[in-house]
Amino acid sequence: MSAATRIAGKDLKLRLRDRSAFILGVVTPLALSYIFYLVFGNAFVSESLDVEIGLVDLDNTEISQSLGEVLGAIEDQGIIGVTTFDDAGSAEAGVEDGEIGAFILLGAGLGDAALAGSPFTIEVVGDIDSPTTTQIADSIASEFGSGIGRAQLSVSTAIGLGEGPPPAEVVNWGSEAAQRPGAFTFVDVSAETRQLDASTFFAAGMAVFFLFFTVQFGVIGLLEEEQNGTLSRLLAAPIGRTSVVAGKGIISFALGIISMTVLIVATHFLMEARWGPPLGVALLVVTGVLSACAIMGLIASFAKTPEGAGNLGAIVAVVLGMLGGTFFPIGQGNAFLSRLTLLTPHAWFMRGLSDISGGADWTAALPAAAALLLFSVVFGSVAWVLLQRRLTR
Amino acid sequence: MTTVLAADGLTKSFDDLVAVNGVSFEIAEGETFGLLGPNGAGKTTSISMVAGLLEPDSGSVHVAGTPIRTNSTAGRADIGLVPQEVAIYPDLTATENLKFFGRLYEMNGAELDTRVAEVLDVIGLGDRKDDLVKEFSGGMQRRLNIGIGLLHRPRLLILDEPTVGVDPQSRNAILESVEELSAQGIAVLYTTHYMEEAERLCDRVAIIDEGVIQAEGTRRELVSLVGQKDRISVTSSGELGDVAKIAAGLPGVTDASASDQGIEVLTDDAATLLPALMSCFASEGATITAVQIFEPNLEAVFLHLTGKALRD
Repeated sequence: MSAATRIAGKDLKLRLRDRSAFILGVVTPLALSYIFYLVFGNAFVSESLDVEIGLVDLDNTEISQSLGEVLGAIEDQGIIGVTTFDDAGSAEAGVEDGEIGAFILLGAGLGDAALAGSPFTIEVVGDIDSPTTTQIADSIASEFGSGIGRAQLSVSTAIGLGEGPPPAEVVNWGSEAAQRPGAFTFVDVSAETRQLDASTFFAAGMAVFFLFFTVQFGVIGLLEEEQNGTLSRLLAAPIGRTSVVAGKGIISFALGIISMTVLIVATHFLMEARWGPPLGVALLVVTGVLSACAIMGLIASFAKTPEGAGNLGAIVAVVLGMLGGTFFPIGQGNAFLSRLTLLTPHAWFMRGLSDISGGADWTAALPAAAALLLFSVVFGSVAWVLLQRRLTR
Repeated sequence: MTTVLAADGLTKSFDDLVAVNGVSFEIAEGETFGLLGPNGAGKTTSISMVAGLLEPDSGSVHVAGTPIRTNSTAGRADIGLVPQEVAIYPDLTATENLKFFGRLYEMNGAELDTRVAEVLDVIGLGDRKDDLVKEFSGGMQRRLNIGIGLLHRPRLLILDEPTVGVDPQSRNAILESVEELSAQGIAVLYTTHYMEEAERLCDRVAIIDEGVIQAEGTRRELVSLVGQKDRISVTSSGELGDVAKIAAGLPGVTDASASDQGIEVLTDDAATLLPALMSCFASEGATITAVQIFEPNLEAVFLHLTGKALRD
C-alpha cells in the first residue's frame, strides 16, 4: 500500500469517527432534496411531464383532421398524450376531472373558411392549474393556424396572378402547410431547457451542491495537518511530498464518491429518482467529483488556515451551486443566464443527467462528462502545483 | 565515536530576516547535543533544516553520511522527529497513532505490533493504548509525541522543546526517557530554552541567539569560556579565620573568605577540592553543619555572551 493511500485511509477513519462528513455529505442533502421535492415538486416540474391535451374537431374536414395527425405524431414520440372528444362539453368535463390539462376546439366551418381565405377561429381551453399544458396546446394551435394562414396567402397570390389552382389542390396545399411543423421545436428540446423530473432534479441538485462541501473535508485536511503540527511529521517521514497531497486528493475523491453513491441509491428507493443508465451516471459522478476536488483543492492552496479555506469554500460552493441551477433551473428562458451556468460544474452535471434521463444511452453523458473533466484538469493542475509549492519552503 | 549528524554552515532567510546564519555542529552516536537559546533564536529553523523540512539557502546536512534534502527521502528513516507541537491525531487511539506513523516508515505486521508494544511500554502508556488520544492529559500526549519519534528506531532523535507546557512529573519522565535513549546509543539533538534541562541532559551545548551559534562545548568548557568559578559555601562554627587561610592555600582555590556563619571558597572545580577542604575544617576542629556547591550555570554564560536572559 502506498503512503498516499495510507494517509487517505487514516483520514477516512478520522472522518467516519467525526461524522461531520456523513452529516454534510449524506444526511443533509438527502433531507433537503426530499423537503424540496415535497414543497416544490409539483410547482414546476412534474406537471410538464404529464401533458394531456384534448382535441374536439367539430369541422371534420381534411384540413381540421390534419391537426389530429400532427398531435398523433407528437404523441407517438411520448411527449404528450392526446384524447379526442366529440364535443366541447365532454372536453370541458375532461378538464374539470383532470383527465386532460387543456383542449383544442376546431369549430365547424373552419375548413371552408380556410379554403375561402376567410378568418377562422381555433379555441384553446385550459385548466388554470395546468399552465404548461395549456401553453403547449396554445402553441400547437397557433402554429396550426399559422400554417393555414400561409396556405391562404399562397392561394391568394396564385389566384391574383390568374392561375388559380383547382379546389382539390388547394385542399392539399392547406393540409401540407398546416402539417408543416416549423414551430414545433419544443419536441426536440435543447439541452439547456431539458428538465429532469422533480425527484431526480432535487436529488441530483442537492447531491452535487453538497458534494463540494463533502470533498472539502479531504483537501482541508492538509491545512489541518499543517495547523496541528502533524504535517511536519509526515514531511519528515521517508515519503514523497506528492504522497501527502495525493493522499488528501484520494480522501476527497473517496468521500465524494461515497456521498454521491449513497445519495443516488437512497433517492432512487426513497424518492423514486430516475438517475438514468448506471454507466452514464457513474461517468458523470466520477468526473463531477473530480471537478469538485479540483476546485476545492485550488481554494485550499490559497487559504492560510482550515477555517479560511472552509469559509471561502462555502462561498464558492454556494455561488456555483446557485448559478449552476441546483436549487432551481435558473438558465431556462434566459440565454445569458443559460450560458453563464455553463461556467459551473454543477450545470454540466445536471445537464448530463438530463441528457441521459429521457431514455438515451450512457453515451449521451459524454459531452457533459468531457466538460467536467476539463474543469478537473484545469483547476486540478493549478491546485496540484500550488499545494506542492506550499509544502516545499 | 561515529558521527551521526553533521550540519555545516546552515543558513536560512525568510524575506529580509536571516533566521539562521552559518550554523554548524556535529553529533556523535550516544551523544546528546543541546541547542540552547531563547524563543526566536533560530532553534526550530535549524532543526527543520536538519530534519529535511526546510531547504537551507546554503550549507548542508548529513545524517549517517547521507545528505538530507527536502526533495529526497534518502536518510529520512534514520531521523526521528519530535516537533514542538503535540503532533498526533486526537481522534485516533495511541496504538492507531503509532501504527499509522510506523507504516509510513515501512514497518508492518508482527514487527510493527512488537515495536508498538515496546514503545508504549517505554512511554508508559501501555494501559491506555486503546483510548482515544483526545482523552489523554497533556503530559501523556507529550509522551506519545516522543514515542512516535522513537518508533522506527532512528539513529538521530530530534526533540524540539519537548517539555513546553508539561507538568513537573511528566517533564521528569521525559527527561529520564531522553537519558535512557542516549545511553542506548541514539544521537539526540535537543532544543530548549530551559537551562536546567540542557545542563542535565546534554553532553555538549551550543548557545544560539539571533540565528548564530555564540559558543559551543561542554558545560564546563562554556563556563570556563566566560571565567566563571565554582563556589563552595560551608556553614560552620569554630575558628573560621584560620580555616579560610588554610583553604586559600589549597590548589585550585582562587579566593576564600570567612564570615560569622562559615566560609566561602571560589575554585575551578568544586568536586575535586571538596575532600581537601573538609580536611581543613577537621584539622582546625571546626564543626560543619552544611555544605553547598554553586556551579556557574549556562544562564550566566548566556547572559555573558548575549547580554540578555534566556527567557527574554
